[in-house]
Formats: sequence, structure tokens, C-alpha cells
Amino acid sequence: MMDPSPVAASTERRALWGVLAEFDTPAALARAAREVRDLGYTRWDCYSPFPVHGLDRAMGLADTRLPWVVLGAGITGAAAAIGMQGWMNAVDYPLIISGKPMFSLPASIPIAFEMTVLFSAIAAFLAMFAFNRLPQLYHPTFQSERFRRVTNDRFFLAVEAADPRFDAQGTETLLRRLGSAHVEWLED
Amino acid sequence: MSSLDPTTDSGRPRSFWRSLDERADTPEFRQFVEREFPAWADEMLEPASRRRFLQLMGASMALAGMTACRWPAEPIVPFAHRPAGFVPGEPLHYATALELAGAAVGLLVTSYDGRPIKVEGNPDHAYGLGGTLAWHQAALLDLYDPDRSQHVAQREAGPASWDDFVAFARPHFDALRAVRGSRLAVLADASSSPSRADMRARFTAAFPDARWYEYEPLSRDNAREGARLAFGRPQRTHVALDRAETILSLDEDFLLHHPAAVRYARDFVLGRDPDGATFSRLWVVETSPSLTGSVADRRIAIPNRAIQAFATCVLAKLVHEAGADLPAALDGLGPVLDAARRHPMYGRVDADLVLDLAGKAGRTVVLAGPRLPAETHALVHALNATLGNVGRTVTYTAEPDPDRPSHAQAIRDLARDMGRNFVDTLVLVGGNPVYDAPADLGFGDLLARVKTSIRLGAYEDETSRVCTWHVPRAHIFESWGDARDFGGTVCLIQPLIEPLHGGRTDLDLLAQLLGEAPFAAYEIVRRTFARGAAEPDPRAWHEALRVGVVAGTAWPEAGPTIGTAGWSKRLRAALDAPAYPEPGSYELVFGPDASVIDGRFANNGWLQELADPLTKLTWDNAVIVAPATAAEMGVRHGDVVRVTRSGTSVELPVFVLPGQAPRTVGATLGYGRTRAGRVGSGAGFDVYPLRVGDDTAWADVRVEPTGRTYRLATTQDHFAIDTLGAQERAERAVTLVREVELEAWRHDPQHAMPGEHAVAPVELWKPHEYPDERWGMAIDLNACTGCGACVVACQAENNIPIVGKAEVARGREMHWIRIDRYFAGAPDAPEIVHQPVTCHHCENAPCEQVCPVGATVHDAEGLNVMVYNRCIGTRYCNNNCPYKVRRFNWFNNQKHQSDLEVMIYNPDVTVRSRGVMEKCTFCLQRIQSVRIQARNEQVRGENGRAAGRLIRDGEIVPACAQACPTRAIDFGDLNDPESRVHRKHASPRAYRMLAEFNVRPRTAYLARVRNRGGHPEGAA
Amino acid sequence: MSVVGTTAPSADPWDNTSDDPTRRAPLVLGAADYASVTEKVAELAERRRPPRAWYIAFGVSLALTGLLGAMILYLFTTGVGVWGLNSPVGWAFDIINFVFWVGIGHAGTLISAILFLFRQSWRTGINRFAEAMTIFAVICAGLFPAIHVGRVWLIYWVFPLPNQMQVWPNFRSPLLWDVFAVSTYFTVSLLFWYMGMIPDLATLRDRATSRVRQRVYGLFAMGWRGSNRHWQNYERVYLILAALATPLVLSVHSVVSFDFAVSMVPGWHTTIFPPYFVAGAIFCGFAMVLLLAVPARQWFGLEALITLRHLENMNKIMLATGMIIGYAYFIEFFIAWYGGNVYEHFAFVNRALGPYAWSYWIMVTCNVIAPQLFWSKRIRTSPWVAWGICVFINVGMWFERFVIIVTSLSRDYLPGSWGAYKPTWVELCTLLGSFGLFFTLFLLFVRFVPMVAMAEVKAVLPQADAHASPNEPERRATGTLAVEKA
Repeated sequence: MMDPSPVAASTERRALWGVLAEFDTPAALARAAREVRDLGYTRWDCYSPFPVHGLDRAMGLADTRLPWVVLGAGITGAAAAIGMQGWMNAVDYPLIISGKPMFSLPASIPIAFEMTVLFSAIAAFLAMFAFNRLPQLYHPTFQSERFRRVTNDRFFLAVEAADPRFDAQGTETLLRRLGSAHVEWLED
Repeated sequence: MSSLDPTTDSGRPRSFWRSLDERADTPEFRQFVEREFPAWADEMLEPASRRRFLQLMGASMALAGMTACRWPAEPIVPFAHRPAGFVPGEPLHYATALELAGAAVGLLVTSYDGRPIKVEGNPDHAYGLGGTLAWHQAALLDLYDPDRSQHVAQREAGPASWDDFVAFARPHFDALRAVRGSRLAVLADASSSPSRADMRARFTAAFPDARWYEYEPLSRDNAREGARLAFGRPQRTHVALDRAETILSLDEDFLLHHPAAVRYARDFVLGRDPDGATFSRLWVVETSPSLTGSVADRRIAIPNRAIQAFATCVLAKLVHEAGADLPAALDGLGPVLDAARRHPMYGRVDADLVLDLAGKAGRTVVLAGPRLPAETHALVHALNATLGNVGRTVTYTAEPDPDRPSHAQAIRDLARDMGRNFVDTLVLVGGNPVYDAPADLGFGDLLARVKTSIRLGAYEDETSRVCTWHVPRAHIFESWGDARDFGGTVCLIQPLIEPLHGGRTDLDLLAQLLGEAPFAAYEIVRRTFARGAAEPDPRAWHEALRVGVVAGTAWPEAGPTIGTAGWSKRLRAALDAPAYPEPGSYELVFGPDASVIDGRFANNGWLQELADPLTKLTWDNAVIVAPATAAEMGVRHGDVVRVTRSGTSVELPVFVLPGQAPRTVGATLGYGRTRAGRVGSGAGFDVYPLRVGDDTAWADVRVEPTGRTYRLATTQDHFAIDTLGAQERAERAVTLVREVELEAWRHDPQHAMPGEHAVAPVELWKPHEYPDERWGMAIDLNACTGCGACVVACQAENNIPIVGKAEVARGREMHWIRIDRYFAGAPDAPEIVHQPVTCHHCENAPCEQVCPVGATVHDAEGLNVMVYNRCIGTRYCNNNCPYKVRRFNWFNNQKHQSDLEVMIYNPDVTVRSRGVMEKCTFCLQRIQSVRIQARNEQVRGENGRAAGRLIRDGEIVPACAQACPTRAIDFGDLNDPESRVHRKHASPRAYRMLAEFNVRPRTAYLARVRNRGGHPEGAA
Repeated sequence: MSVVGTTAPSADPWDNTSDDPTRRAPLVLGAADYASVTEKVAELAERRRPPRAWYIAFGVSLALTGLLGAMILYLFTTGVGVWGLNSPVGWAFDIINFVFWVGIGHAGTLISAILFLFRQSWRTGINRFAEAMTIFAVICAGLFPAIHVGRVWLIYWVFPLPNQMQVWPNFRSPLLWDVFAVSTYFTVSLLFWYMGMIPDLATLRDRATSRVRQRVYGLFAMGWRGSNRHWQNYERVYLILAALATPLVLSVHSVVSFDFAVSMVPGWHTTIFPPYFVAGAIFCGFAMVLLLAVPARQWFGLEALITLRHLENMNKIMLATGMIIGYAYFIEFFIAWYGGNVYEHFAFVNRALGPYAWSYWIMVTCNVIAPQLFWSKRIRTSPWVAWGICVFINVGMWFERFVIIVTSLSRDYLPGSWGAYKPTWVELCTLLGSFGLFFTLFLLFVRFVPMVAMAEVKAVLPQADAHASPNEPERRATGTLAVEKA
């Protein structure tokens, strides 16, 4: 499945997934993205070896809500840490230690801080995959032999067939007009 | 030790050994030996190896021990010193006694289900008063020593049985009886036992021509002879230190090496109560720093040979300058005293000393030590007479057996006879002459030539090796017997356990030789007790056993008349002798060792690891050299030097110790044993070879460096300290160990304490409340003499392991209580302080908060408890303990315990595993047992509704406090305003070490009181 | 593609260390385009056989790791007594090594997180590398507290797990804070490192020639396909992790310093410790990065990516932190004298003049005097000289911990229980072995993982700017505006 095979090779007909256009430079990709955005396409995406500066705006992407997840996790961590220390040392099994109070906030701060960070970091990490619906070991774009260079030095723009404004021929010509030297149709 | 190999004993038809043979022949046993022995040799484990060897209770012994471990047949009577009735499983206490070099101290031995596990002092015994010294505590370890000889041995045939010996002995001694015992001799160790005396009488009756000799390497015969000179008959001197205002000790270590040391230590401290009427001043004139010297108010260090001249000058000054009048009987001393005026020592006699002695008739004491010649002792009798002490602070009793030759003479006569082949049969009762007889006699070779030599000894040691027969001697706690204390009172010795290895007592052996067997020690003691009567009065016998002492047997006071005939001339002549050794040579002073005495305790791990009170040295002896002398010799601490006396030379390491007299060096005896056992063999260096001729006190020697160095394992100053550290140590010592001047104290107790900056730390939070009990401890530094009894007592009570020399050298000793020793003042005339340190059970314990798993916490009574099974061993607690009283189990110290070794363990105390921290618990197990007892009594009380009988003050006595001869340690409830410990905490002398860190220790120290008098800057 | 960015004035095309503020020195040298960057880096992870130097180094490291294993086995079977510890010196090599390795780790996080927050794009050349170093250093560090306990089979009791004793850890103990700090630190660093690596793993996947490599890298790449919608979340999370790691790295060494500062041992009980420890950590951490980077860039021909400028910047940081350390040494003494606590006072005099003075002066020489050489640009920019200085710095920082721990413990309050400490051969071999473990892991890393963050490097190439045509780099700024208006 990860092995992208050329369309021609496949014998039985499968539904069209979309068209994939290749660009040489981030600038070209950005220009194309702006066009596609302005034309009102919704189910499309850009692919690049590295995050291209300004491409989010060019694609008209809304800001991600991911940070809120992290904030929540951080607060949870802090609360859990304070609660754990208070309950364990002062409530569940109190011990007289160095004549100190059973619970005191200052002594609990270091662990509270560490757990805040721990919870936030893990949350952020997992959220990244969740929001991106990763891991996804198969994707139609993997069928394209040329698409392998997306992690190297090439820039792609793909419009999905599921897009209401999608029209295979029209979209292909559009993308060629936007400067793509190579456009190919990908099946699902 | 071939005889230790059980396999060679196989085939003998004795059930006792058969079980052992079976055990020994099993493949497991063989495999055990093969597997385990190389492991010990593993140098990777070298640090622990000596301990490992200790642990090597050869598996052979295991079953042997158990098979012998049955209830005694003879009825013995427990000492009911607690009101509570006996509960099965509750430890019982039996009164017995331990005799060291001819004087007994009464003991109470705790027996747990038939196993003796702890020794304590017998409060009903006048010369113990409940206190002990380290030796009494440690004697218990010998009972379970795997190296004790296991069976009769014959030089050719190897291991034999008691029956074999009897089969040989009966005809042999019948034949001797026929010839009136000619060519028969007995060499016995000193004993005050009436039964022994009785048996000896019977022996000489049966063998009229036989010779009976008595020998001790460290004897007090000079005192006997001195009394003979002064009074015409040997007298024993008794002093009342508690009533003396001035004590002048001439080389007498009455706090440690004296038959009455336990009692004298107590009296001495009683006479130094800062709140009492009298507070004595102790002057010590000695050569090597002794325990007594370390607590002296004024100490004068001069060569041993000069002490007599010094004493003469003291008397002279008293008479000439202080107007003391010489009794008429002492007029013979006139010319001597005149001559003394011109003696160089005359100037050395401090004016203060004369003032302290003069005009205090009956309120001073002068003592002379066993090393000093007989004339000195006679002179001291004269001094006491002149000072009017006789009959008041100094009393006399007649010495028993007045006609016996001195020990030195006895061994010499015997050697002469042996040399002339006048001795065919020699019976050796105890002792170890081959090791400790004067070297010039060549006793070993002579003994080897004796046709028949029968040795009764606990170990197959240097002496047994060359005897034809060796008979294992029963341990004191396995024996029936009796002994007299220093005052003559008879103490009964009852066994705590059937002999583990079939040992026999001296009485048993003599009975056998006399053909009285199977008449045994039990009957002999009863017979002696009955004093002629057929049967002892049962009630009296019962009571004597219960209490341990036979009332009314003390020697009556004697009123001997003093004279100067015969010795004043010798005294005069002695004045002309030089006071110092000639240049190039040094005076080597031989002394008893604080651990092994004369070598008898060499195989006792507890004592080997007990630090010497002054050097803090373990597992070794050394030649003690003062700093100045060391510089003059060009040697440093730890250098090996060759000490040569007329051809013979011994090599041993140098220990630089302030306080040794100039032009002199000191060395203790008892080390360098070759056949002591796994523990003692090879530990330290044997200086007996230098102890030749009649002058066994000191010898002029040459000392030259060998260029080699030697590692000395001390429990303090683990390393040669740099000047920076030394300065800091000196500065800190004065704040850690507080002292007050008696004058200042008497003038204003409230403000006498120096450096007491009242710190009132701000509490950041509300401290915890301890409403019920607040256990606390008070250690009176004015009472502590630093003897170390508490250290061994704690080790015995709390199952503390022995770790061995290499581990001590690494700083891994395990003692829960240690005695820190600091020097103050000039290095040539130092003042010494002892400070016992154990867990202070701080209420704000720094150790607790740093433990990640909460393994050390406070309990409801504020005790700082160590939870062994929770400890994971981060050692953080010890890092954070300002007193460094925590001890870590670096290895598994309990590995490979044999059934025999574990018998010594106190079942009330957990045996710690590898990797856990441990420390003083304030003897929590004792607190609990007392509490349980109190609760039980309450239940019996008013139908159980009372709040329970409170624990009485003084009812809980930790092991250290119990053992202390001077009662320096008090323990109790700080919430109880009436408790001794509370009152001591409230004393103006009380201070808490490092209190400024607000750790709130539960242990308070009471400042030591110095009574230097005169001009303190001259203090020494 | 055309050559870009070789605008350095100096004759040497590899010297981009110009300090001329008017022109920006390029971060990547040589004929760099996306493909060449990919080729350069990926090729290292793909080549059949690495240079001989790698095999030799790996062999040695592996042997030392084996030694470490043997020492630990001996320790476990025999007891902590095989070390030279005693009372009063209950800690020595174990905790020294722990603090040392944790400190090493800090530079990694610093480079990857803090420099990222400060938009120091020069970090891209070395951050992957430094992060890897962090991970491995923390592994070595975590090892020591774990094995130093007396009953290692119960070490899990430091975690708040329900247990048959129904008792919990003591949260007042700095050691327990350590447990949380170090484990958090390790987790976060690992996440950070792995996430940064996903696009590069995807690159290796797509370049894979063998099926195995393709599947393995594919698995770890998690199906990354460079989608811009992914990049959006990815970049945000990367930023967040950086923002979390920055205070974390400061906290970790502060907590480590609490092990000492919270105790009452004279010489430990000091409020200066947290900042002083953090500075020291960064100090020796950068030294370790350089220690690794200099040989690596040479053996793997990465001079174009890990440039002299990278090295020089790190040397500057070491100079700065080295001075902070020196200041801390001085102020400790001042406070010890000014504070008037006799025990504290002696602790410090004893450090400089006592039995362990030699270790103190080794520390001062290596940490304060040696870095002063970095004032000279010649030295800053000559890799192997700097490398030598970094060796000194690491030695010095190890001895700093030795001084703090051993001198303070060996002479605390009661002179009666003063002691001395001498390590045994077991401790020495264990220390050596920990280096073996560290380098083994690191060599495996350079062998199988892209050691430079390709995606990030590409992003800082001039032609990576979406608003400019590659041939006119000058119009960058204006270009942006133009686009946005459009």
C-alpha cells in the first residue's frame, strides 16, 4: 500500500481521487495555492519538503485550536500533582517528617511544575497526530512515483475529486496554467 | 588447625560427634567448604574479608552446637529483679560473675529461651553496682566463638575424646600419687576462687611433692611486694575515691585496668558532683596516656623510672615545706627525704599538688600502679600514712595466699625446673605462657620437652600446640564456679547453658586428676559453699545463686603497722638512678591493652573492633610516640619502626599521640597472636619478645625507622589530618564539647557555660506535639570516662555486625554509639575530652525530609525511627545528618550465619540486611517491653479500667546507659518534670550540640567540669 | 540551481564567521539546493559502510559498554561496598556522574528549544545532533541514581505506586523531585527529538531502495507526506514543545541542585546553586556538543552544514557561561565569608586549601582559565583547538561536582566523624563505561538517522522563501508585502 504504483499499471478501474500538480519552487506553489484558494476550492492541499513560509495564508487556512488542548492538559497536570502530593502525604498516610507540616505548597512546587510540563508535552505531541489524522500509512498521493520527491525538493498541489468544484479536466488545465510542469490523476 | 577438621574424627563411637561426622561427610558440606573458602580469599572482597572469616562458623560446628544445646541438668535460679512474674518467652536474667586476673565482677546475663544473649552488671554486687566494662560485655561473644577448641586433642593422635583423656589420666596420676607427685607441676592462671583454692589444697595433699605455680603476664604482684615491704605482710589497698578531695594517681589506671575499676570509676564520679559538697581534683603522674590520665585535672607525664623519685619528692616537699609530720614509724625515711631535696624531680613537683595534699588528713588518696616497683608502693603507703588517710580514705585487707612467690618468680622457677628436666608432668590450667611468659625463658621450647603436658584451655593456642594433651575449657557462662571480688566477697558462677563443645572447667579437671571424678564442679562449688557442712543450707544457696553474691564473705579490714625496715635504703639508692634514659635510647613502657588486655581476648571481634579510648585504634596495637619525640626520631604516623632491646627487635607502626612522656614510647601487649583464631591471629604486633628479665614494666630500647609504612585503622581521624583541619578541629571542639571551670561554676552556675549563645530560632510552623511521652537522653560529660563499655553493650544488644579492619579503615564501622575524643591545649601537655555520640533523635530531624521513600520518620513519641524494610539505601539521610550517627550496610554482613553464630542474636532486634541504613533506636525494644509490662500490670489492677500504670522513671534503661560504670547516660521521659533526664536537661550545664540549626535534638550533654585549680595555664 | 549565499568577504569559501553586521553570513555553504542538502545528509544514513573511524569508535564504545554492564553486575551481586564510599562520604562517583551527565544533556535542549524561540536559525545545522546527545546523556544520567541505592531491586519504591505497605513516597525529598524532573526531561526531549525527525524519516522512506528500509522508516515516518495542513499543526506543536522545554531545562538542573541546596551540609546549603548549576550545565553541554560535532563534520564531510560559524557561536556561549561559573565560584567564597557561618566558612577554605585542594584547582583551571582562550577569534574558529579546550571544560565540570560533593561531605560538622574518600577501581570503570554507553548510542544515531535536520535546513535556504524567485534574494522583504497585497 505504501508502494505508489503508476496509474497505468493498475488494471481494474478505481474511483478517481484527484489531480496532483508538481511545482519546482515554493514561490510557484504559493502562487498556485492563492489561485486555487480564490477559486473557492475547499478539498485540496499543498505538499512541500519543508514548511513554506506564508503558505497557510496563501491556502487560507484557519488558525489551529491545538494550543487549547495543551493548556487544558497543563492545568490538569498541575492539579494532579498538587492533589497527589497533598493526598498521599497529608491524608492517606500522614507521617511526621522532620517536624514539618504534613502538606506545604512550597515543597510541592517542583513536582507540580514537572508534571505540568509532562502532561502538556505529551498532550501536544498526541494532539499533533490527532489533528493531522496521523499515523496514516497509506495515502492516494503515495501512488505517484514523482510524489516521492515531496520530501526532497519538489512541491505539490493536489485537488480532491470530492471537492464540489472539482472537474478533472478543468482542474488539470487550471493547474497547468498555474505553472505546473507535470499534472497526474490519482485514483483512490 | 587439623583438629578442627571434623572428618578426622570419624569412626569414634560417640553420638556427640557422630552427628557431626554425618554432617561433615555429606557432599553438601564438602561442597560448602570448597565453594565458600576461595570466595573469602577473593581480594575483591578484601574489605569485608575479616568479617567473612568471622562469619565462617565452620558448618561443622552448626549441628555440634545444637546437639549440645539442651537445658542444664542442675537447677539454676533466675534473678528475679523485676516485679513482673515470669512469662514464657520472656527473657530471664541469671546472676553470675566474670573473673579477670584474679578479681570478679558480678554480672546478670540475659538468657532467651536458654540462650545467653546479653551481659549486664549485677546491681547487687558491690564492685559492679550494675556497671560493667567492655570485657564483661564482650565475654559473651567468646561463648559462640567457632574457634574455641571443640574437643580433647592429643599432640600425636590429634582429636580425641574426654574418655580417651580419662583413660590416660587415671593410671597416670595414680602412678604419680604413688610417688607423692614428684616431678609433677601445675601452672595455673590467677584465680580467687575458693573452690579452686580448696581443690589446690586437696591436690597438694594428694601430691605433696608436686609444685604449684601461678602466673599472670600482667600481675599486681609489685603491690603485694610493696605491702610486704611496708607492713611485713602482703596487704591489698582499698581506696574511697568518693570521699577524697585530692587524688594523686601514680601511673595507676584505676578507671580501666584495675580489678575494682568498675567500682572505682563510679566512686570517682560520685566524688566529682559539681552540685555536691566535694569535688575532687585528680592529679595523674604517668608515662603513657591512660584512660585515667585522660580525665585528670592535672597530668604530669614523666618516664616510668622517674615516678618513684617524683613520689619521694612529693613526700619530701610535704614534710619539708608543707609541714606534714612524718609518723614516727617512718623516721627511717628521713635521710631519703633529705636527699630528695637535691633531686632534679624536686623542682618538678608542682606547688599546687603539695597544697592540694597537705593539711587534708583523711581527705586525699595516693595510688600507685602495678608497673611501679615494690619500693614505690611501700612509699605510697608511707605517703598515705603521712597524709593521715589510712583508715579513712585508704584501708587495707590481708592478701590471700600471702606466701606464694610472685608471678614473675613462679614462671622463672618453673622454667628453671623444666630446664633441668625436673618436670615430667605439667598441668597447665588456663593462661598462655608460651605466648606471654618472659621471652628470655624460651618457655615454648622447654614445654615441648616436657614428657607429659596437659593443657586446659579455651583455644588450641600457642601453648596447647606444644602440649601433649589439650582439654577444652568451658566458657565462664558454661561453668559452675565461684570467685572473689576485689573486696573478697564470694560471687557464685552458674552456667547459662550446657557446654556447647563439651568443655570442662578447671574444677572438673582437677577433680579428674585427683580421682574425684565424676564428682564435678557443681558439687565442688556447693561443697565449698557449705564450708565443711555436708549440704549447703538450701535457702542460703538459693539466695546466693539468685543474688549472685554470698553475703558476709568480704575480707575483714586489717590494721597493719607500717615500717621502713629494709626498703628505705633501696629507696635512697634509687634516687641516684637517672630519671631519663641515656641519649639515643627511649624508655618503652609495656601496658595492658584496652581491648585484648594481655591477649586473652585476641579472638573477640567486638573487642578488636572497639576503638582504643585514646588512640581510637582498632584491630592493631602500635608504638605510641609523642609528636615532639616523633619529630626527634624523624618518624611519622604510620611509619613502621624497628624497636630493639639488647639484640631482640620487634617491628611495629608508630602512632603519634599527644601526651606520651618525652624520651619515652608506649606499647600495649596482647597482639600479634599466631594461634588466637581466625579473628585474632595476625592482628597487631607482639611486643612480648621485648619483655625479658624481671623488669616487665619498661625497658630501654632503640627505635629506628624501617622506611616502610603500615595502615592503621582508626574510628576517628581516619587519615593523617592537615594543619588546616587540625586548627578547625581544635576550634570546634570547644563549642561541641563544653567545659566549665569549677570555680566559675561554684560562683555562678547560670553564667558559667562558655560560648552559650542563646539561640531562639523562629518557628516557621507549629511544631508537632508529643503529649504522652517524649523520650530523651542526657549524657553527662563530667561522668563519662570514655571507657567504651557502652559501645560494646550496644553492639551486643542491637545485633551490630563486626566489619573488620579494612572496612574500619574505610570508615565503615557500624557502631551505633561512638565516643569522640578531642585534644585541647598544647600537644606536649594535652587535655583530653571524651564525648559519646549517638542518634540525637532530633524533633526536626534533617535525615527524615531527604529520604525519598519515607524510611526514616518520627513516631508518636517523637522517636526518630528507622524503618529497615522500607529503606532502599540512598544514604541521603546520613549525608544530611549533622552528627553522622547513621550506619549503612555496605555488604550483607549476615551472610552465611551458622546456627551457632545466630544463637547470640537478640531476638527483639531486627537483623539488618545488605543495603539498608541503621542507627541508634534509643533501644526501642526495651521501651516496648517495659510498656507492655506496664500495660499488663494495669490490666491486673483495678479490673482494668485504670489508665494503665505509668512507666516509672528509670524503668527503661538503654543498653549503653545500663553498661556505663559511671551512670553518665540517663534516659527517660522529658514530659515528666520529675524524671532524672528532665532535671538534667534543665541543668545550667546542659547544652544541645548544634542546637543553632533548630534540629531540636532530644539528647542533651552536660558540660564537663574542670577542677584545675591553681594556675590553669600550667594545666597538664 | 544557481550557487547562492557565498557572500562571505574572506578568501576562504568555508569561513562564514564574518562579524560584519551589514551583510548576513550564510548558514549553509557551498552549492546548496534542496536536493544537495537531502543528498548530503540522507546519504550518510544510507551508505552501505560508514568510514573506518566509525567502526573503530563503535568497537571501543561497545567494549566500554560491556565493562559498564560487568561493573553493574558486580555491584548488584555484592553491594554498594564495592565502591569507595563510607560514612561520612555517602555519595561520590555515583551522584557526580549523575549530575555531570544531566548537565551534558542541557545544551541539547538549549540549542533546540531556546535558540528556536529566539529564532536563531543557525541552530538548524546542529540541533538534531544536540538533541540526540541530550537523550543519550540523560540515559547515562538516569542510570546512576538507579544503581547507587543499596537495595536496587526496590528502586521502584520512589514512584508513587500503590503497594502492599500502603505507604507513599516522601514528596519533601529533593531526590523524589529528581525522579520527576529527570523522567519528565527525558520524555519531553524524546518527544521533541522524534517529532523533529518525522519529516526527515519520511525523506529516508521515500529514498529507500530496499523494502526493509522503506518499511522501517515508513513506520516511524507515520505516513508523513509534507501536507501543508499537517505542517501547520506540526509547526505549532514544535513551537509549544520548545516553549515547554525551555523552562523545563532550567528547572531540571535547578532541581538537581536542590539535592544539595535543600540539605544542611556545609558547602551544599547555598541559594546560589540553581542558577549556578544551570549555567554550568549549559557550559559543559556545549563543550560536549562541540566535542562531538568537530569530528563528525570532518569525518562525514558536513563542513557545509555544520559551519565554522556554528562552532564559533558555541565557543562564544562557552566563554560567556564559563565566566558565569567563575563568578559563581567567587561569590560562593564571598558569601561563605560574609555569611559568618563558621561551618560554611571552613567548608570553602577547606575546598581551596584542604586535602582535596588539587581537585578544586583542577576545576578552576579547566572551567575558568581555559575558556578565556576563546577571547581570541583565531582559537574560536579553529575547530580542533576549540575541541581541545572543550575536553578541558568537560574534565573541569566533572571535577566541579567532585569538589561540591566530596569535599563538603568529607568534612561536615563534627570533626570526630570527618572522613576521606578514595574511589575504587569499580567506580572508575563504571564512569568509563558510562562514556562507552553514551558514545555507542551516539554512533548508532549517526549511522542510521539523519544527523542534520534536513527539512529545517532547507527552510533556511535563501531560495526557500515562497515570495521570491530563487535568483533574486535581495527582494525578500518587499516581496512579502507585495504578495500579501495581491
